[in-house]
Amino acid sequence: MTKPLVVLKNVQKLFGDFVAVKALNLEIHEGEFLAIMGPSGCGKTTTLRMLAGLEEPSTGEIYMNDQVMNKVKPHERDTPLVWQSLALFPFLTVIENVEFGLKMRGINKSERKRRALEWLEKLDIIEFADRDISTLSGGQKQRVALARSLVLEPKILLLDEPLSALDAHLVIRMQAVLVQLQRELGITFVYVTHSQSEAFAMADRVVIMGNGEISQVGTPKDIYRSPQNKFVAEFVGRNNILSGTVFDLTNFGAHIKTVSGTFSVSLKTDKLLKGQEASFVISADLVHLSGSNPEAENSVHCKLISEEFVGSMVTLFLEDKSDQEFKVQMQERELSKFDLKPGSDIWLSWSAQSAHLLNVN
Amino acid sequence: MPTKKSQKIDIYAMTWRLPIIIWQLLFFVGPVIFMIAMSFFLVKNYRMTEAFEFINWSKMFSKNYFWDSYFYTVTIASISTILAMLLAFPASFALAFKASEKIRRWAIFLLIIPFFTSYLVRTFSWFVILSEKGVVNALLGYIGLGPFTMLNTNFGTLVGYMTLTLPLVVILQTITMANIDKTLIEAARNLGCKPLSTIWRVIIPLSKTGLIVAAIFCFILSFGDFVAPFYLGGSQEPTLPILILDTTKSGQQWPRAAVVAIVMMITLFTVAFIGIALAYRKKASK
Repeated sequence: MTKPLVVLKNVQKLFGDFVAVKALNLEIHEGEFLAIMGPSGCGKTTTLRMLAGLEEPSTGEIYMNDQVMNKVKPHERDTPLVWQSLALFPFLTVIENVEFGLKMRGINKSERKRRALEWLEKLDIIEFADRDISTLSGGQKQRVALARSLVLEPKILLLDEPLSALDAHLVIRMQAVLVQLQRELGITFVYVTHSQSEAFAMADRVVIMGNGEISQVGTPKDIYRSPQNKFVAEFVGRNNILSGTVFDLTNFGAHIKTVSGTFSVSLKTDKLLKGQEASFVISADLVHLSGSNPEAENSVHCKLISEEFVGSMVTLFLEDKSDQEFKVQMQERELSKFDLKPGSDIWLSWSAQSAHLLNVN
Repeated sequence: MPTKKSQKIDIYAMTWRLPIIIWQLLFFVGPVIFMIAMSFFLVKNYRMTEAFEFINWSKMFSKNYFWDSYFYTVTIASISTILAMLLAFPASFALAFKASEKIRRWAIFLLIIPFFTSYLVRTFSWFVILSEKGVVNALLGYIGLGPFTMLNTNFGTLVGYMTLTLPLVVILQTITMANIDKTLIEAARNLGCKPLSTIWRVIIPLSKTGLIVAAIFCFILSFGDFVAPFYLGGSQEPTLPILILDTTKSGQQWPRAAVVAIVMMITLFTVAFIGIALAYRKKASK
């Protein structure tokens, strides 16, 4: 990674008594695709608005290219934002929308037009140049919003859940467009979303936020396989979270005693004490099924509660005798050999390497 | 036949609609038709007699005082409209964008209060304020200025028009601007638009319809107002409403007054029609 383009240092934002963002520290690098993800009200949009200068941090500093940006007004920044509502100007045509920012920068008419047309061409909407915004489809509007921001050739593009209003198949298409644009232009994208699939599909790094704080920063794979705490593990979903106490320590790892049994967890770094409380997660897709007792180290006997299909992937929801919930994710064709119905008995097992210890918080 | 059935009059609905239809026919359509007819009547020995002559129209249109009054009324009503729109804008802007929802609600409520009292009473109260020995001149006298003649001038007329129109214009402008999508203003700022430029670049285009409707109301009220030009303007130059009064008084010329009234109605229809057309005009999309 190159040097940070944006640095947030102890940034805090209060609205009256409400703490929207607390003590945020984050470095955003040049040319990276960073996703900020979290449930609604977690402060992700407020963070983005602070980057655009639409909100001023209550305390702390935001640096861009080593300069403090706190007091810099939105119109003096080069931080175009793609809005959730798109915020296209309904009284302007497509090309006038795209030219707007250039006009504000005092660029002459012919140059404005040339650059706007170039971007309309690049985003494949040139035939709509003279159309009214209201005559466009959702996907076309999306492209106009992107063109309007990118025509300014910014170093950083801010995106606030821009795909949330689109149909599912369009979302996939636009994801590809965004990733390709970002790679081609080599500029920084900061993408705020509540959608895990969007964030994981596109981002180089993902920031998970909850209650105004950063819970974890990492690559999508890091976050998915090694959530650092319970909040992330639960937010990412499709995880089995087990809690208990440390039963004993081995040179390989630890045995943790839970209501569902005692399981072994491999340890990478953490120093753990015997008798201490501990939680660990196993990704739902790393759990194996077997019809009979697998006689393996980490196994549980469960009953199937329900199943959920998304395409060829199936998620099974199960419960053991102590009412601990389990989730298993697998391909539909692998599942067919088990012939399961709600209420069926089945054994789950996983390897100690698949279990990942959570930080205590 | 099924078509017959759908054409059958719904008696229940008609019963409820009928009063307003009858009212409109009796007190609006009827009088207008009568007025148009009357403009062709003749007056003989101070008595109106039924006739169908164009003499009232040709007489009125050949008189300079009619055209002077017409252009004066159009001009002063236009000035009133521009003045009211400009004076109201900062207040409406503040109420729409700076004030909280609660303050905005109270402000609109307070702006309705002037309509509780008679416009005539509100106009007369200006005598106390604007006369030679009134409040304004007394205050100016302390710093050695004046006295200024404010009553019986165009200034007086305009003060009257503002009394009539400003509260309404502020209400209409405020409601229009309070309803525009604030994200668009932020988007403009985000794209490099300076705070003040957003008024011209975003706020006015977005609230165009409401602003034009406010202006139309202001023009209609000023154009047809009798009280302000008569009492505060002193009818130095008579506006059309004053001309109507004068014409009816002098020789019972009701038919010629009807001509003036019809010309006024046509003017207002034209202004309202063009205004609404502009307000709802869509960009020509290719």
